Amino acid sequence: MSHLRLERLERRFPGTATPAVDGISLDLPQGALLALLGPSGCGKTTTLRMIAGLEAPDGGRILVAGRDVTPLPPHRRNMGVVFQSYALFPHLSAAANVSFGLEMRGVARAERAKRVADALALVGLADLSARKPRQLSGGQQQRVALARALAPQPDLLLLDEPLSALDAKLREEVRDEIRAVQQRLGTTTVFVTHDQTEALAMADLVAVMNRGRIEQLASPEEVFERPATRFVATFVGRATILAAEVIGEGLLRAGGVTLQAAETPAAGRVDVFIRPHHLRHLTPDAPAENVLEARVLRRIYTGDIITLECESAAGRLLAEMPGGTPGAAARPGDALRLGVDPADLRVFPA
Amino acid sequence: MIGLLLCLPAALILGLGFVWPVLLLARISFNRTTDMGAMEQAWTLDTYAKIVTDDFTWDLAWNTVTLSAGCAAAAVALALPVTLLIRSADPRWRGLLALLAVAPLLVSGTARVVGWMAILGDQGMINALLTGLGIASDPVRLINNLTGVRIGLTESLMPYCCLVLIAGLSRLDSRLEEAAATLGATRSRTFLRVTLPLAAPALLAAFLLAFVLGVSAFVTPRLMGGGRVFVVATEIFDMALETVDWPAAAALAMLLLGALVLAMVLRGVTAGREAPR
Amino acid sequence: MKPGWFLRLAAFCGYSLLLAPALLVLVISFSAGDFLNFPPPGFSLRWYAALIDNGQLMAALRNSALLALGVAAIALAAGLPAAYAIARLDFPGRGALAGFLAAPLLLPTLVLGLALLLALQPMRLAATWPGLMLAHAMVAVPFAVRIMTTAFGGVPKDLEEAAWTLGATRFRAALRVTLPLAAPGAIAAGALCFLVSFDETVISLFLVGPRLSTLPVEMFRYAENRTDPLVAALAMTLIGVALAVVLLVERLVGFRRAVGRN
Repeated sequence: MSHLRLERLERRFPGTATPAVDGISLDLPQGALLALLGPSGCGKTTTLRMIAGLEAPDGGRILVAGRDVTPLPPHRRNMGVVFQSYALFPHLSAAANVSFGLEMRGVARAERAKRVADALALVGLADLSARKPRQLSGGQQQRVALARALAPQPDLLLLDEPLSALDAKLREEVRDEIRAVQQRLGTTTVFVTHDQTEALAMADLVAVMNRGRIEQLASPEEVFERPATRFVATFVGRATILAAEVIGEGLLRAGGVTLQAAETPAAGRVDVFIRPHHLRHLTPDAPAENVLEARVLRRIYTGDIITLECESAAGRLLAEMPGGTPGAAARPGDALRLGVDPADLRVFPA
Repeated sequence: MIGLLLCLPAALILGLGFVWPVLLLARISFNRTTDMGAMEQAWTLDTYAKIVTDDFTWDLAWNTVTLSAGCAAAAVALALPVTLLIRSADPRWRGLLALLAVAPLLVSGTARVVGWMAILGDQGMINALLTGLGIASDPVRLINNLTGVRIGLTESLMPYCCLVLIAGLSRLDSRLEEAAATLGATRSRTFLRVTLPLAAPALLAAFLLAFVLGVSAFVTPRLMGGGRVFVVATEIFDMALETVDWPAAAALAMLLLGALVLAMVLRGVTAGREAPR
Repeated sequence: MKPGWFLRLAAFCGYSLLLAPALLVLVISFSAGDFLNFPPPGFSLRWYAALIDNGQLMAALRNSALLALGVAAIALAAGLPAAYAIARLDFPGRGALAGFLAAPLLLPTLVLGLALLLALQPMRLAATWPGLMLAHAMVAVPFAVRIMTTAFGGVPKDLEEAAWTLGATRFRAALRVTLPLAAPGAIAAGALCFLVSFDETVISLFLVGPRLSTLPVEMFRYAENRTDPLVAALAMTLIGVALAVVLLVERLVGFRRAVGRN
C-alpha cells in the first residue's frame, strides 16, 4: 500500500517559461526511502518543499496514507524536515531544539523530556543536549537536526541535501547513520540529493529528475545498470557512448564491429551506452557474444579500480578492471580483448 | 491581508501625526490673514503672492542658500581628511575613529551650541588665547553673528558628511592608490589624480545631504546667531510662534518643502547618472 | 598607504571641530565661575547642585524621561509588527507601505513641528501628553521600522520554515523563533527611539507649553537667554543619558550586532 502518493504535481514560478516541477507522479510504500536525484534546478527541492507544505503546488495532489494533505499548512502535516542548512534554532539548546516539535504538539513535559532523551540517544548525542548549535560540529548539528525532525514521530521524513555541508569523510559516516536510523524506525523518507553515490547507497527507490520531470523511478540497481533514458545513463555513473546503427533485430553496427543487444529500436542511428565495469577482460580464446578488440591508450590507477581508456574499431572505450585481475595489469599500448553482455548494452535513438 | 493589518498601528501613528498635519499645513497655506492678524478660511494664493513679492523673502532665501552651501562645502572639505584617515588607519583603531567621527550625532544640537559658547564667546577659549598671547586687545566677536552660525552649522553637518563618505569611500579600492604610487605619482598627485576623482560621487552626495540639512537647520542658526541671523527656518518659527501668522508660516514652509523636493530630485538625478558605473 | 603629515594635520583639525564642543561642555559644566568662560576660574559641582535644585528643569527632565520611555514603547509596539510584515510577508502595496513608513525622515523637523502645531492647537492637544506622544512617536516609528526590518531580515527564513514543519503555526513560529533572534535589534531600536525622543528639540519647541515642557526645550530656552554654566551641566546631563543608553545597548547585545550586518 502506498504511503506517499504524488499525483501530477506541478509548480510554476512566476516569470519563468518552464515549470519548475512539471506534473510528477509517484508512489512510495510505507517505510521506504526515496531519493530524488538530479542536477541543480531539476525541481527536486521544489518537490520536497511542496510535500512539506512550504511551497504551494499549482496543480496536482499530495496524499499521505490515503489522505489528501495538499490544502494543509505545513504545521498540520506532521512531517519531519531536515534542511540543507539544518535550520537549528541558534537561541535554543540541542535538547530544546529537539523538544520544539513535541511542545507544538502539546506533549506533556515529562513525556517530552523522555522523548527528547530518546531522540538524542538515537543519534548518539545524549551528552551534548545542553549545547547550543554553534557549540556543535557540523556533523553533530546534522544529527541534532535529524533528531529534531524525528522526535515528533512524523508520518514522513524529508531531507533536503542533508549531507552537502559536511566534508567527504564525515559525509559517508553520517549517510550510513541516517540510513540505519531510518530503517530502525521504519519512517517513510524522501531524500533530496544531487550526489548519485548518496542516492544509490541509501535509497530503496531512486527518482532521477531532470527539468521538472521524473526520468526514471526504480531501484538503485535498476537505475545504475539499466538507465531508462539517455539523461539517466549520462547523469548516473560513467558511460562509454558509441555511435551505431541498427542493422537487424537485436543487431547493431558500431564502426566496423557488429554487436548484439538485448533491446534495440526497429531501425536507425542510435547511441550505445556501456558502463565501464560491464566491459570484461577476455582471454584470447574465451567465447563471448560481443567482443571488442581494443588498444590501451591510458591507464588510470585509483587503488581498488584501474580505469583503462582504450581505442577500438567501434570507438573510444572506458573499461574498469578490479585491481589484481589480469585486465588490471594492462599498460598503454597493450592489446586487449574486451567482452560485454548484450543485456548490458543500453541503446537510445541518436 | 495579515501584512496590511500588521502595518496598521504604525500607519495610524503616521497618518495622525504626519499625513494629516502636513496636509493641514498645505491647506492652511491657502488661507488668508486679515489686517487684524486673524486667520480666515479661504482658497487663495494671496499669502504666497505676499511672500514671493517681498524682497525680504529673497534676501532670506539668498542668505539661507549661501550659508548652507558654504557650510556644506566646508563640512565636506573637513570630513574628507577625517574619512581618509579612518580608511588608512590600522584596523584596530578604525572602529574607534569612525565612532568618534559620528559620535556628535548622539549629542543634542543645543548641547553642542553650549560648547561653542564656551569656545567662541567673548570670554571663551579662543578669545582667552588671543588676548593672552597679545594678538588682540579686545575680544573678537565670534558668536551671536554670522561667523558663529557658520562655525556651528559646519560642525553640525560634519558627522553626516562623515557617514556618507565612510560608506562611499569603503567601496574605493586602496590598491588603486598604491598602483598610482608604484607608477611614480607623488602623494599629492595620487590624491588629485586618483583619490579625488574616484571619491567625487561620494563627495557630491555628502555635499547635497549637508546642504539639504543646512537649509532646514533651526537650532544652530537661532542660538549661534543670537537672534541676529535670519534664515528661512528662523523666519518660519517666528511667523508661527511670535507673530502667529499661520498662513504665512505655512506658505513659507511649503515653499521650503518645494525647494527641498527639488534638491532631492536633483540628487536623485545625479545619483542615477552615477549608478551605471 | 600610510597617511602623510598633511592628511594627519587636516584630519586632526576635523576631529577637533567635531569633538571640541562636547569636551568644552564637559569642562565648563564643572566650572566654579559664574559665566561660560574658559579657562574656568576653578572647578566645582555647584552647577550640578543648582541643576538639581531647579524645580522647573527637574520637572522637564522627568517629563522627557517619561515621554521617551513611552515613545520607545509605542514606537516598538507599532514598528515591530510592521517591520515583520515588511521583512517577511508578501502582500500588495508592501513596497509603498515601507516607503510611507520611512517618509517622515525626509521632511525637516521644523516643517513637521509647524504642521503638528497647526493640527494639534485647534484640538487643544498642543502642550499635552497625548499630543507630544503622538508627535515623538511619529518621528520614532520610522527608526523602529527600519532597524527592525533589518533585524527580521537577518534571521534566516528557513528557521521559521523549520518551526512550521515542526508543528508551529505562523504566529507561534514568529513568536518563538524569529522574535527572540531579532531581540538584539529590538533592544537597539528601543534605545534609539528613546534617544530620538529624549533629544528631540525642534518639534517640541512648537508643542510645549508652560505646564508641560521637555528638557531639550528648556535647555534651548536657557541657552537663548542666559549664559551661565548651569546650561553646561544641563547639556552634560543630556550627553550622559545618551552615553548611558548607548553603553547599555553595547552591554546587552553588542553594538555591532545591534546595528546589524550592514
